[in-house]
Amino acid sequence: MALKLTIIGAGPGGYVAAIRAAQKGAQVTIVEDDEVGGTCLNRGCIPTKTLIASAEALEHARRASEFGVEISGEVGYNLAKIRERKDKVVSLQVKGIRSLFKSWGITLIIGRGSILSPDVVRAVQRDGATQDIKSGKIIIATGSKPARMPVFPFDGESVLTSDDAVQMKSVPKSLLIVGAGVIGCEFAFIYRAFGAEVTMVEMLPQALSTEDDEISAIIERELKKAKIRLLTNVKVEKTERIADGMMLSKLADGREIKTEKILVSIGRSMNSKNIGLEALGVRTGTRGEIMVNDKMETNVPGVYAIGDVVGTMMLAHVASHQGLVAAENALGGDVRMDYTVIPAGIFTMPEAGSVGLREKQALENGLKIKVGRFAYRGLGKAHAMGEITGMVKVISDQETDKVLGVHICGAHATDMIHEGALAIQRGVTATELGSLIHAHPTLSEAVMEAAEDVHGMAIHAPKSSS
Amino acid sequence: MNPDDIKYHRDHAWVRVEGKRATIGITDYAQHQLGDIVYVDLPEAETEVDAESELSEIESTKATSPVVSPVSGTVVEVNEDLADSPEIINDDPYGNGWLIVVEMSDPSEVEDLMTKDEYEKFVKEEQEK
Repeated sequence: MALKLTIIGAGPGGYVAAIRAAQKGAQVTIVEDDEVGGTCLNRGCIPTKTLIASAEALEHARRASEFGVEISGEVGYNLAKIRERKDKVVSLQVKGIRSLFKSWGITLIIGRGSILSPDVVRAVQRDGATQDIKSGKIIIATGSKPARMPVFPFDGESVLTSDDAVQMKSVPKSLLIVGAGVIGCEFAFIYRAFGAEVTMVEMLPQALSTEDDEISAIIERELKKAKIRLLTNVKVEKTERIADGMMLSKLADGREIKTEKILVSIGRSMNSKNIGLEALGVRTGTRGEIMVNDKMETNVPGVYAIGDVVGTMMLAHVASHQGLVAAENALGGDVRMDYTVIPAGIFTMPEAGSVGLREKQALENGLKIKVGRFAYRGLGKAHAMGEITGMVKVISDQETDKVLGVHICGAHATDMIHEGALAIQRGVTATELGSLIHAHPTLSEAVMEAAEDVHGMAIHAPKSSS
Repeated sequence: MNPDDIKYHRDHAWVRVEGKRATIGITDYAQHQLGDIVYVDLPEAETEVDAESELSEIESTKATSPVVSPVSGTVVEVNEDLADSPEIINDDPYGNGWLIVVEMSDPSEVEDLMTKDEYEKFVKEEQEK
């Protein structure tokens, strides 16, 4: 008899687990509260990328004369059409997942899932209809939501979370973004491109503090170039509504910022409440994250957890991989999650991609390293494209020469990063990476040059004076 | 032509002194080396700058280079025109392409800087290296 597997949550973790388990012969039921695809597809990765695509099209049109292209009249945009395009892209992907479910015989129930016992999941549909699903194994993939702090009077109109901002209902004349992490920076470039005056407030000393310092520095400069104001080392203490529908935010250092809207992007909190964890005795951590081992097992046998709700790395592709691991193990396999090679992309303008160790992290770990760099402006292709901002940075072990980290900022960085991921995973040395023939003319040549630069051998870089 | 009423720093910045006020820019040689300038990252007014420390970063189609401050003091004026037209530096490095004005905290620092002739000799030597 086929194993009965029930998954709560159909985001990039849950739906991938569902398909893999069905491929392996399980009888799968997936319970989703909202829409398949989760935050990633409905409120995150995909809708923001369609907005960025519109913003980039606008920027290209504004720069048309640089390329000898003449556009008569003023370049403008139509917000309704931008939203329409975004919704179309999202709904196409949603349909795609639903049809994959159908083809693999996966039962989708739209309703709120909770665990009654280690072998029963209850789904409560919108109309109140309740269904108890008998399950051999359970995977929790309930995800996360934007973190809220009481100092911000969220209303979805003037004080927004990323869930609201992605709807792009209007472009305010002025926008304060609280938190200059990945989400804050992506929205800063989007709203700026559409004409908002953007100010960012970050309590840490720099924007994108999880990235390599040199990558953060480039993005900070690009924020400046885009005339986005970034205030660091300071917190917002209070926000209140004042006359004319404006919002007044008071900073800890006494400064006041008046804006039409505020976007709060200060992290995400786990959806681990009201899903039956307490009664079942599933262990959670201080942030509300479900505790799991590297097989994605919780402390309750037969109950697995994956994705944002386990709080390891809140990335869609990490959730998906955890889903594969959980599905395999639920079906009797023995596979483990390995976090050493996780590429990640940031869709700022320009983009950033990273994998492996940051320079600071490597030094903190006591590693002896060598660093190679190559600037985009050293590439013919970058000049041809009119995208000369950016760099590739390769970090390698001083003794073994093995690549430990690759960091890219610049056009197509998020696509180029995977060469670095493969290099790290396969234990490739900087010398080997630099000796691989790279097609000309491409931006990827910068990866080759940066790898060669680890040993001072980049062809298109002047002799270093040191 | 390099003017002779200004002082030069070996990292290719220049200073024009009027009382305690020092206008700072980069030399013609520097702008030539950089090529087409696409962006200048300037400090805000009221920022303190120290002699021999980085006061700005200039980005050209060839490189991103720091500008080292020849003197110490407080920034009192910033050339706002450079935000939209950084190429002014290429066109007029000693005039409209100035970067900032500093209220000097130690005007004697100017004495350590080079004259036009000394700077030209210095550049020549550097090129021959």
